[in-house]
Amino acid sequence: MTLSQADPVKMDYVDPANSLNMPEMADMTFAMDFLSRAKEGVRSTAAALTETVSPEARALLRDQLRQGIALHQEISELMIRKKWFHPYELPEQYRLDLLSAGQTLEIGKLNLFPGDTSRKGMFDRTPDEHKGGSMA
Amino acid sequence: MTHRQQTLAAHEALELHEALNFKTLCLAKSKLMQGLVFDQELKALMEKDVQQSIQAITRLQAVYAKASFGTPIGEYRPEPILKGGGHHDA
Repeated sequence: MTLSQADPVKMDYVDPANSLNMPEMADMTFAMDFLSRAKEGVRSTAAALTETVSPEARALLRDQLRQGIALHQEISELMIRKKWFHPYELPEQYRLDLLSAGQTLEIGKLNLFPGDTSRKGMFDRTPDEHKGGSMA
Repeated sequence: MTHRQQTLAAHEALELHEALNFKTLCLAKSKLMQGLVFDQELKALMEKDVQQSIQAITRLQAVYAKASFGTPIGEYRPEPILKGGGHHDA
């Protein structure tokens, strides 16, 4: 792999210098995804509950709403403790937001999977293909 | 009245469709992410989500079974996306 100084790509995934702080950045991203899934779960379960009358469905959604709220709290407390999330220090949160957006933009520009990803030859037919596959 | 208790209203069934798909995606993501996460506390929390999602999906399946449009599930046979390239016997 040859990269000249004038190369417009700032980031290089084979350069070990770029793995500095990588685990922290990655965990922060995974945690943020996890938190937003928990949040979406709480909101959509609450909305679903207001659309439901069947006692069985309501009991199920109510339990899941309670569980979702508790999980959301656990995730946000963990993120605050790990300093991945700063709900009370907005300048610090602002810094993190833009840092991760910037880093992720750089990753977005990388040609991470340049080859064919079809994995042809590993799964080249379905087990029932000799019977005509889905037409059998 | 008995009919109402056995079959879900159409809008309720669609809420369960949304909830079931959301939970299924969350289960897949929380399971797969555990292989990428570095922090072991975060991993443990994701495993908790996996266990809770398994419970949730099991219960959702039982209630979703009362949808008016419920059908036997049968076997899943996707259209092959990779055609040719392999040798064919028989």
